[in-house]
Order: sequence, then structure tokens, then C-alpha cells
Amino acid sequence: MTQHRSRGIRRIGVLVAVPALSALTLAACGGGDDGGSGGSGGSGAADGFSFAFENASGGQENPWQLLADQYAEETGVEIETQGLPPDSYGLSMRTQLQGGSAPDVMMFSPGAGNSNAVLPLAEAGYIEALGEESASLVPAGNESLFEIDGEVYAQPTSIIPVGMAWNSAAASDGGVDVPADESAMLDACGTLAGEGKSFLAVAGSAPPNMGLMAMAISATRVYAETPDWNEQRAAGDVSFADSEGWQATLQTVVDMNEAGCFQQGAAGGGFDAITQGLTQGTSLAAFVPGAAATELANASPGLNLQVQPFPPADGGDPFMLASPNYALSINASAEDGAKEAAREFLAWMAEPENAARFVELQGGVAITGPDENLSPVYEPVADLLESGDYAPLPNLTWPNPGVYDALSTGVQGLLAGQGDIASVLESIDQAWDQ
Amino acid sequence: MTATMGTPQDTGPLVRGTVPAAGGGQPARPRRSRPLITYGRWWWALPAILAVLLIHYVATAGGALYAFTNWTGIGDFDWVGLDNFRRILDDPALIGSLENTLFLAFGFLIATNVVGLLLALALNRTLRTRYLLRVLFFMPVVLSPLAVSYIWKFIFDFNGPLNDVLAWFGAAPKTWLADPTLALWAVLVVMAWQTTGMVMVIYLAGLATVPAEIEEAAALDGASTWRRFRYITLPSIRPSLAIASTLMLIQGLRVFDQVMALTGGGPAGATETLATQVYKETFALSNFGFGAALALLLTLIMLVFSVLQQAATRDRS
Repeated sequence: MTQHRSRGIRRIGVLVAVPALSALTLAACGGGDDGGSGGSGGSGAADGFSFAFENASGGQENPWQLLADQYAEETGVEIETQGLPPDSYGLSMRTQLQGGSAPDVMMFSPGAGNSNAVLPLAEAGYIEALGEESASLVPAGNESLFEIDGEVYAQPTSIIPVGMAWNSAAASDGGVDVPADESAMLDACGTLAGEGKSFLAVAGSAPPNMGLMAMAISATRVYAETPDWNEQRAAGDVSFADSEGWQATLQTVVDMNEAGCFQQGAAGGGFDAITQGLTQGTSLAAFVPGAAATELANASPGLNLQVQPFPPADGGDPFMLASPNYALSINASAEDGAKEAAREFLAWMAEPENAARFVELQGGVAITGPDENLSPVYEPVADLLESGDYAPLPNLTWPNPGVYDALSTGVQGLLAGQGDIASVLESIDQAWDQ
Repeated sequence: MTATMGTPQDTGPLVRGTVPAAGGGQPARPRRSRPLITYGRWWWALPAILAVLLIHYVATAGGALYAFTNWTGIGDFDWVGLDNFRRILDDPALIGSLENTLFLAFGFLIATNVVGLLLALALNRTLRTRYLLRVLFFMPVVLSPLAVSYIWKFIFDFNGPLNDVLAWFGAAPKTWLADPTLALWAVLVVMAWQTTGMVMVIYLAGLATVPAEIEEAAALDGASTWRRFRYITLPSIRPSLAIASTLMLIQGLRVFDQVMALTGGGPAGATETLATQVYKETFALSNFGFGAALALLLTLIMLVFSVLQQAATRDRS
């Protein structure tokens, strides 16, 4: 009987021990971060830090990766890099910051209008305030994208102009010059459509490209006349639905669609339609950020792409979008040593020769404005950049990612024959007020 | 008679301790209430039950609480009561997503079950090539839904093979995935194409239990093909019908992969479903509270329809 009872106790012991041991094992596996830095990489010592950034291709030729490699080589500082896909980058950083496993240095988008925007994270206390050196790099008029209560939480790295990536050779072949205004553009669209070409290649199935197109058009229709339109909207003084500028912007999209400005099947086209259209010369232009135009030109020998401003409304003046679309921030919960190493990295980034190197790698414009190193890709817009005839990407200032999503899907609908301008603008207002 | 005596493998009497005593004609009186052989105690399952409770139910209930908050995925949140649910009902886009979800779920349920049953009937007995054909029809089931969707995306492309075929017949090309009226049907076609093989296999398993003798007897009595199907085959495969329809309804209600890969919910929300809206609101737009409300609504809808569907296909005999 005693033997029977002891066997029973042994059985119970085994039953309790197995899950307990499993739990302990799991706890041991998951508890590695306790002794490390706030960073994910475990290289949070004073002589190293971890660094996360978007890496669409996943390759080693990413400008952030190349810059980190150069810094590590020059200084001997160990950097653990983490290149993540852009579509999940914002979510990954939010999750890691809340879980206490975020990298020490992170790339973000300025403002609050994107899923990877820095200001909501700074407001929640996850981002370290930066010093004067970083604040001095913020372009005039862009302070609201980087600051909360006078504290700067991200260091801009370069200015990315946004307009039309223009294939000069294809335009010459089609006998088309850069249109001076909307009427000239619509005429050119008709001419090109007759030849089986298109003025623009768009990714109608990708809402972000539709949103970028609408914003690029809004530069002349909205922000040229009212640079503080976003501030007025935030104050409730104006609305998208009542804005003549936004109505004109979306009307231009509808007019372009009806005039045959887009490639055949544009509503279902993906980003491949843009690259194919530009590289094969079947389309003259596309709405892509300037850095992407540079990358595309570099990847296609013989392809001569330049950034052109979108034609203004008849009688209007050229104006464009350009803003620091990327910035670097420091994790507020990083270890002191890693934080110090991160600050040194940001200071190194701010040095003119290193900033210039990054601009060259990324294909942007120096954060201090166009200089002698300005890429030939931006030659047509150099005057606009120098004279300050540009506004930041509007969605950076918008209060939440839903506003840009409403604009993007609304324009997508207009291209596919769904909805009307008034309903699209109302939906954007609703998204703003959420 | 044999059936009532128990099969040779029936160990019930032994387990229950009612085996006749050796050499005696009378069954031995049980000396104690405990069986001679035991397979376990209920509390042995406690760790697993606890794990299931914690991982499935407590975690889900915890997530559901966020449906009543305005949490953005970071920082603090406020309790907003039923505001998120009111917003769902007030938003035409989300009502559209609900309609799309129901359209896809019931379209998927009908298409897979009708075609799957027809295939199963066709490939049940007579065809010599039935084994090869079964493999061919089942093959799409083992493929990744994403991979299948990307192949179909190429097929539906404006410059893709489907429009090339249409061009041979002189028809104008269509933007299949960018046309608000065609895109949802295109998604349904891809869903049904990939899953019909699974339904076919479920029905084939059911058809294997239908005695050929009864069908032959009915045929000899002059019953038509339709009457044999209606009064012999269909009642016999009722359990398969219940399984296949339940699985397809649930799979249809939670459709996600195909929509994301084919249209991303576009054009302008024309193919958004509740599941894609949950993803978009929660992870793309950082509206975690609102996304949780959508997810809770989707769960409730699945629960209600599953119960209704079970009641509809219950064996009332």
C-alpha cells in the first residue's frame, strides 16, 4: 500500500514537474533582455548600439546599412543593424518599444501622419529628446514635424523632393515637352494616347501611389497659395470638403483619367507598371519620391530620369513638395552607454561630409538645401528648392494615418469609377476628425 | 444479435470489472467501485485545460476588452463604451465590408459544396481515371493561398492571359481586379478554385459509406438517377454535408489571404471584408480599439452563423 501510494506521489510529482520545468525553461529563454540594454540587439554596451531602419529590398546596398558600415569602419563602434520591410516597420517598432526590446537608434517618419511616424511615440514617452545639434538641422517651417513642447525628438537626414519622375528621352521620342500648365498637359495626354503611350504611369491598385499623386497635384492647387492649410484644418477653420484647392486637385485627377493621361488598365496597375512604363519609355512620367527616381535611374543604365514639378493649374506658378521624409531617433529606454553611442552616431551623421555621403547614397537633397553636390536628377527643380517654393509632404502633418488612407483609397475609387469628389473629400474630413 | 453481444475486441466488461470469474458460471461481484484498468484521472488534463483556458479564452477575452477602448496601440487609452460599435454601424464602408464578407462566405459555401459534390459524384466509382482526377482536383488545396492568389493575380492582370484569351474572341480587355463589380467575383473564383478539392474529398469519404447494393436495388425498382440521389445518397452523406458546409462557411467568413493578395481590399474598399478591415484598422492605421471591436463583431457573426448552420444540417432522424 505504501509502495502504491509512493508511486502515486511520484506520478503527481512528474505531472507537476513537467509543466513547471517547461515554464522555467521558457522563462529562461525569454528573460535574456533583463540584463541587456533597452535595445534589441544586446550590443547596448558603450562601444556599440543597435539600429533599425526600413529596407525594402532586404539587401546590403541599403543607404542606412552602408552608412552604418562606414561609421563602424571609421570608429570601430559595433552596430547591430536591423533592416525591416517598410509595410510592417511601424508596427514592429511600436511592438518592440512597448515590449522593451526596441533598438537603440530607429529610423522614423517625421510628424504623426504615417504608421511609422515618430511624434505619437515621443508623446507616449518612448523616444529620447535630442539636443541642439539635431534641432539645428530641422528645416525652417518643419518644426512641428519634429518637436513637442520645444523638444526635438528626431534628427532629419535629407530632403526628398516629390514631383514627377520624367523620362526625357521618351518625351523627346514622343515630341512632348514638359507641360507648362494643366491644359498643355491634357493636350499632351491626348497626343500620346493616340500613339499608344501614356503621359503618366500609375499604380492604381496601390493606394499609396494614388495618395502621392493627389498630394503632388495639391502642391500647386492647395499649398502654393495656402502653405499653412494643414494648420488651418487642425484649427477647424477649413475643411477638405469646402476647399476649392482640394476640389481642384481631385478634379484634375478625374480630368487626367478622362483625357487618357494614364496607361491602359491603370486602375489595376501595380508598381511594376511604373517601372516598366518608365524604363521602356511607354510612359513619360510617374509619381515617385525623388529618391526612388534616383534609384531607378541608377538601376537602369541609359535611363535619364529627372524630377519635374507637376504642371500648375492654368495661370498658376510652379510649386512642389519637398521635406525630410526620414529621421533618426533614440530609444528612451536604451542603456546609458548605448544612448551615448547613439548620440555620437547622430552627431557624426550631422557632420557635413557624412550628411553629404548619405544624401548621395539615398538620392535626396542635403538637409541644408541644394548645394554644389545636387544630383542632376533634381536639376529641373533646383530653382524651386533654392527659392523655397516647396511645401512639406502634407500627410506628415496630418493627425493620423487614416487621413492619408482616406485620400489614397478615395482617389483609387475615382480612377476606378467609384464615388465622386465630394464624397471622397467628406471621407477625408471624417478620417481627420477621428 | 451479434451486435448486442459485443465484438471480440470489446474490452468493456474487462475494464468495468464484470468478467466472469475463472471456473465459475456466475460473474464475479465487483470488489470495489474502481475499474480494474484505468486510463487516467480527469485532473491529469488540468495543465492542458489551464493552458487552453489561458491561451485561448482568457487571452481572447482580454483582447475583446480593448473593443471598448480608444487604444491606438501605444500609450494610454480611455474606455469609450459602445462607441466603436456605433462607429461600425454608422460607417458605410464598414457596412460594405460586412456585406462583402457575407457575399463571399455564402458564395464560397454554395460554390464549393455544389461543385465539390458534383466532382465527388463524378469521381466516386465508375471512371477509370478517377484516382488521377481526384489528385488533380485536390492539388490546389495543398498550395499556399498567397501563392495561388499571386498566380491568379497574374492571370487577371490587364495584360495577363485571361484578357489575351478574351482578345482571341474579339472581346475588350477588362481590369478584373480594379473593377468594383468584377473584383469581388474574381476573389470568390480564386477562393472556390482552391478549396473545392477539399470539399470533394469530404464528400468522397461520405459516398464511400453509401452501400452500392441499396442503390442497385433502387435502380432495379426503376428509381431515376435524381430520386436515387435524393432519397438514398443525400441522406447517407448528411454528416459529410454538415462538416463540409460548416468548414466552408467559417473559412468564407474569415477570408483574408486571397483578398489581401489579389486586391488589397480595393478598388476603394470594394473588396474589403471584416477580416481585412480588422488588419487595416489595427495594424496599418493603429486603431487597436476599433480593430478589436471589428474582430469581436466578426467572431460573433461566425458564432451565430455556425450555430444556425449546425441547426440547419442537423440529422433530425
